[in-house]
Amino acid sequence: MSKFIDRPRYVCALGGAIGTLKNLHRTIPILHAAAGCGGNISNALNYASGYLGSGYCAGQALSSSNVYEQEIVFGGEERLYEQVENTIKIMDGDLYFIVSGCMVEMIGDDIKSVAKRFQDRDITLLAADTGGFHGNFFKGYDIVLSTLFREFTVKTEVKNEKLINLWGIVPVQDVFWKGNLKNLKQLIEDLGYEVNTFFGEDETLDNLKNAGSAVLNVVVSDTAGIEPARVFEEVHGVPYISVPFPIGPHGTREFLTKIAERLGIEKAFADKMIKKHQARYFSYIERIADVYNDLDLQRYAIIVGDSSYAQALARFLSDDLGWIPELVVITDILTDEQKEIVRERFTNFESGLKPKVVFDTDTSSVKRHFRDVWPNNNGSRYYNSFSPAFILGSSFEKDLADELKVPHLSVTYPISNRVVMDRAYAAYDGAIRLTEDIFSALVANR
Amino acid sequence: MNYISEKVPPVREDRLKACNAFGGSCCELARKGKKGCLNGVKRTFAQTQGCQLNLSLAILNTIRNAVIVVHGPIGCGGGSLSMAGVNKGFQKLRDPNAKGVIWLNTNLDDNDVVNGGEEKLRQAVLYAEREFRPEAIIVVNSCVPAIIGDDIDSILEDLQKQVNAKIVPVHCEGFKTKIMASAYDSVYHGILRNLVGRPEEEEKVVYEDELEVIKEKYRKSRTVNILNVSSMSRQDEEELIRLVKALGLEVRIYPCYASPDDFAYVGEAALNVSICATHDDYFVEHIKEKYGIPFVLRSIPIGIKNTNQWIMDIASFFGLEEKANKLIEVETKELKEALEPFKEQLKGKRVFLGGGEIRILSTAELLQSMGMEVIGLKGYHYDRFAEPLLDMIENNENIVFNVATGQPFEQANLLNRLKPDLYIGHIGTNGYTAKQGFPIFPLFGQSSIYMGYQGAYEIVRKIARVLRNPSFNRNFVGNSKLPYRDEWYEQNPFTYIDDSAAL
Repeated sequence: MSKFIDRPRYVCALGGAIGTLKNLHRTIPILHAAAGCGGNISNALNYASGYLGSGYCAGQALSSSNVYEQEIVFGGEERLYEQVENTIKIMDGDLYFIVSGCMVEMIGDDIKSVAKRFQDRDITLLAADTGGFHGNFFKGYDIVLSTLFREFTVKTEVKNEKLINLWGIVPVQDVFWKGNLKNLKQLIEDLGYEVNTFFGEDETLDNLKNAGSAVLNVVVSDTAGIEPARVFEEVHGVPYISVPFPIGPHGTREFLTKIAERLGIEKAFADKMIKKHQARYFSYIERIADVYNDLDLQRYAIIVGDSSYAQALARFLSDDLGWIPELVVITDILTDEQKEIVRERFTNFESGLKPKVVFDTDTSSVKRHFRDVWPNNNGSRYYNSFSPAFILGSSFEKDLADELKVPHLSVTYPISNRVVMDRAYAAYDGAIRLTEDIFSALVANR
Repeated sequence: MNYISEKVPPVREDRLKACNAFGGSCCELARKGKKGCLNGVKRTFAQTQGCQLNLSLAILNTIRNAVIVVHGPIGCGGGSLSMAGVNKGFQKLRDPNAKGVIWLNTNLDDNDVVNGGEEKLRQAVLYAEREFRPEAIIVVNSCVPAIIGDDIDSILEDLQKQVNAKIVPVHCEGFKTKIMASAYDSVYHGILRNLVGRPEEEEKVVYEDELEVIKEKYRKSRTVNILNVSSMSRQDEEELIRLVKALGLEVRIYPCYASPDDFAYVGEAALNVSICATHDDYFVEHIKEKYGIPFVLRSIPIGIKNTNQWIMDIASFFGLEEKANKLIEVETKELKEALEPFKEQLKGKRVFLGGGEIRILSTAELLQSMGMEVIGLKGYHYDRFAEPLLDMIENNENIVFNVATGQPFEQANLLNRLKPDLYIGHIGTNGYTAKQGFPIFPLFGQSSIYMGYQGAYEIVRKIARVLRNPSFNRNFVGNSKLPYRDEWYEQNPFTYIDDSAAL
């Protein structure tokens, strides 16, 4: 049985659906929900995600049936029909997508049958049940992608041997998603492939429509986007691989090697490319060889965030930056099976370090877990303290950082103390950026 | 007014015949409002807004030493994520040890929708007590438990026997009202039922000494409660405290940023002073009923006229008119001199204001006094409390009034026609308005001063600054697009307001 959550780091499935749709090009979400659902979610998507903004057609512009008591008693399908009819007249988009909130699902409104009534119109209209109680943001992402792959992506027997699709980097929930997608896309393009990411720069709905001709789907996550990948395989016959989100040379080498292997790319070619990227990476990182060692900037670290970021950050700190990640708190809601897969990611660090990994959704728990891994000084004169240290987490972790008197950088959702545009932490370039941000925090008060 | 024995307060459609859909002139609005024929109007196309749960949290998240339990699916109350870290700073302005907002969500899922969520609520409340030892645990109820029939009042009554914190149920299920401002009643209802009033035994032991009793009585007779709103800043409060203290009165501030235990002493004042009728009428009426404390509710201290009136309303209750006249005279003289240099720049500038009915009307009055031309107003809802303020607006027969909670599509169309020189707006729709290229000044801010004489100066000074360089927003024209079809801008902006069901 699931439990209550102390300051959850995600909104509901409906929020995930809206967060996903609002970042697809020229897409008009239509909510069939109570009036407050969209407004509430918009705040979480905008102000807690590096000031993402309302987007093309979200925020308070979201089309919403705003059902009240009357509809809850008598049914809301007619109200939805009217709302869709008028949305099409007013809103200018290439894809309309009905998503539902808790209330209308509980009273049994059939949004798909309402959508069917628009079949003969010259528009594309999809619908998915995304009631908040089905799960959190990640669930909404999965539901929307699955629906798009099943109903929007065109079925084709003709495959493009040089095309792959990549997803699993969840918009909004990964605050740096747009930059991250760009970095990963460029890497794979370097291998000689075209890449659809659906949410990336310069991509349109055509990328999604034509995704069926790809030869491989790469899901950059152990948990998010796996269900849609299964749907994709079932409908379009395209296989998928799941690879962990990479930050830094160690993680990225593994990322590229896995994909290259799967695509049958010659190892020598892949290695050459990895070498090139690595050379560029070190041409920058070596700049801080001085300050790192002059000022002893190795740090203990606490990492708090979703499973994708947690493993990528831990690995980067451990194997690339040479820090000591002691505690990793993973805040996702995961099944036992998913936890096992995620836990595996922390077992093979080159440094030999094995940080304590805990799965806990409660924000207050982080401190308790820290006390477990690092006992208090019981009045002894010589104390091997947790210092110097650094915290990588969300804006929530600022309190803990203040308490432990250590610097902190918000890299996982929610982020309300930074403005994020195309900044990325993925792969080689991302690791350079992350190094800049972390070390800037360390030298900020010199 | 006495709804306190009820578990749930009435919604504002019923209690105040409030409306949230209208388009026409100010005159027509006032006329229809008086006749009570705005109730029941709806939209056949709508955009999302907030619900009373969102707005309840706007107040409740400010309360110090409390834990909020949102009883609902994981998304409900998620808007609080946007306050992560931010709200703590505001609390600290009142108490350096403040911890910031702490909330739990009961995470109702598919299983709970079938079997009920009562156990999760119980666990959450017990955890809140154990982990945080707060003064109060405030439980806000969302739509889902209301539909599945969770009996939160009995559960919480039962839990109250096990926890030290005062448990405050707030019934603010979103689907029950179109009028977001019903939230204020829901919150005050919870506070009135569970936090206001001292325990009896305490009242007996305090001030046994006769002289002390007299002193206390005197103090009470000179104390006013100023009721703040969550959209105000600490500087706003300081300005209002300054003005009321200048009359020789003592001031206490409720409800935002108060600590739950502070509410025990609400009854120990001579007068309740509201700054916004939309916010407070439910509370002050009930306090009057319970403790016989009268109230002042008429105006909001924004702009010179309204600030004067607000001060005078307080002063006349205490027979301090003469003192107030002097204060007003000195303050307004100095302020008017300070405002003079801005008049030339602002004269004739055409302005549109959107947001809460009380704020937009009082701010509009201030801008008119600066020689600006008010060409349009958008109120998030409309009820009788706006009437006196509407009368204060000059030329109101020619000003278009749109009643709409959010609904930026109507506004985009209107602004496209009216092409104001300045837009003053509520948070949430300003981003879309910016993309139309208009200069924008926010209607309120939790870090800036808007109220009293100091606030009047600051509003004017800042507007003058905004207008000096509106390039940022202007650059969006041709580079950003709103989601509406071109044809929409050619239609009547109020096409989708359907008054066929109006009462």
